[in-house]
Amino acid sequence: MSVKYIPVQWNNNKWFYDAVMIVCAAAYLLTFLQLAPPVLDHARPVTPDILNARAFGTCAFLMLSVILAIGPLARLDRRFLPLLYNRRHFGVLTAFVALTHATFILNWYYAFSPTPKLEALLGANVSYGQWLGFPFEIFGVFALLVLFVLAATSHDFWLKFLSPPIWKGLHFLIYPAYAAIVAHVALGSLQDRGDLTTAGIVGFAAFTVSALHLAAAFYEWRYGDPMAQADPWAEVCAASDIEEGFAKVVRLTNNERVAIFRMDGKLSAISNACAHQNGPLGEGRIVDGCVTCPWHGFQYRVTDGCSPAPFTEKVPTYNLRVENGVVSVNRTANPPGTYVEPVPVREIKT
Amino acid sequence: MAALLIGFGEWWLYIGLGVAAIFLTIGIDRIDEDARGAYIFRPLLIPGVMLIWPLVLWRWFKLETNSESWRKRYQPQRASHARLWLVFGIIIPVTFLAAMSFRQTPPADFEPQRLSEAGETAQ
Repeated sequence: MSVKYIPVQWNNNKWFYDAVMIVCAAAYLLTFLQLAPPVLDHARPVTPDILNARAFGTCAFLMLSVILAIGPLARLDRRFLPLLYNRRHFGVLTAFVALTHATFILNWYYAFSPTPKLEALLGANVSYGQWLGFPFEIFGVFALLVLFVLAATSHDFWLKFLSPPIWKGLHFLIYPAYAAIVAHVALGSLQDRGDLTTAGIVGFAAFTVSALHLAAAFYEWRYGDPMAQADPWAEVCAASDIEEGFAKVVRLTNNERVAIFRMDGKLSAISNACAHQNGPLGEGRIVDGCVTCPWHGFQYRVTDGCSPAPFTEKVPTYNLRVENGVVSVNRTANPPGTYVEPVPVREIKT
Repeated sequence: MAALLIGFGEWWLYIGLGVAAIFLTIGIDRIDEDARGAYIFRPLLIPGVMLIWPLVLWRWFKLETNSESWRKRYQPQRASHARLWLVFGIIIPVTFLAAMSFRQTPPADFEPQRLSEAGETAQ
C-alpha cells in the first residue's frame, strides 16, 4: 500500500513467490540445456549459443503462457487467486529471460554483420508480402518491446500516476504480444518439420491459454449481473442474499460495479474497483473491520471507502436503501471517502 | 528503412531521457504526495518514462490542471475483459494453425549435390 514509495515492497509472501518462480525458471533452463539435444531430435548439431537461445526463448514463452493463464484461472476458481498476487514480478523476470534470448540470437546470427546488429536484424529479411519465409523476427521484436514497456511500468507509482483504467489498458498489450510470440515461434522455429516436440509443447501451451480465456469469457457473460433501469435507485438483491462479512457485487447500467457488504448486521456499499489495480473488492471479505482486496490485500472501511491510517487510498461509496427486504443502490456514486451511514438489516421486514 | 527505424527509436529514447530528468526531479513532487521525500525508487521509473514519455507528459498535464474526473479512476477495464478474452482465445489457435499449415516437407529422396570441390582442410 502507499504512504511513501520504495523500490520494491517485499514481504514474506513475495519472497516465497519470487523464490519459487526463479527456481522453476532455473530448473527449466538447466533441464533444457541437458536434455534438449536428444529429446528435441535436432537433426543437425547446434552450437551452445543456439541451444542457449532456444532454452531462454522457450522458457520466456512458457513463463508468459503461465502468466496469462493465471488471470482466467483466478476468474474461474478462486483457489488460483494467490498466483495473481505477485504476477508483476513474474512479468519482469519474463522480460529479462526474453531479453537474454534476443541477446543470444543477435550475438550469434548477426555477430559478423557489416551493419549494426539491430539494423541487420530488421533489414536482413524484408519479405513481408509472403507467409512462407515471412520475417518472423519482427513479431519477436514487437513482443520484446511490449514486455519491456510493461516491466518498466510495473511499479505502484505507475498505477497511481496513470490511473488504474489507463494502466490496465496499457497492460492489455500483453495479449497482442502473446499472439505475436505465437506467430514468432510458429513462423520461425516451428517451420522445421523435424522438431515435433517443440511444436507439441508450443501448441499445447497456446491452446491451453486460448481455452482458458474462452472459458473465462463464457463465465463472465453467464454470471454477469447487468442492471438496466432508468430509475436513480436500482433494485439489486434481497438483503438476505448478503452473507455477514461478505459482499454481493452488482453491475449498474453505466458498467460501474458496486460491492454491497454486510458487517455487524448493517449494509454498506462501495465501488467494487480497488484504488490500487481495480481489483474486485466485492470478492474479498471483511478482515479486522475492513474490506480486503483479494488481489493484493489493500484495505478499506466499508462506511467511507477510506484505507485505515497511515494509508491514503480511497474508493467511492454509494447510498443504499432497503424496502421490504429488497436492497436498492443509488446509481450516482459519492466522491471517494464520503461517509455513508450503514443501513441496519434488522429493520428489514421480509 | 531499418536504419531509419533505429534512428527514430534512438531519438525517442533521448527525448524520453530528457523528459525523465525533468519529471523525476520537478514534476513528480508536484503531482504525487507519496513521492515527496522518496528518492531511491525514482531511478526505477527512468526506463518507463523513456518508453512512454508522451503518455507521461499527458498525464502530468491532466494532474497538474486537475482536469480529470475522479470517477474515471473507478471505472475498470474489466467490463471489456470478456470481449477481449473471446478475441484473444480465437486469434491464438488460428495463428498457430495457420503457421503450421505453411510448413513444407523436403522431398524424401533428395540428396544434396556438391557444386564445388571440397576446400582444403585447415591444418
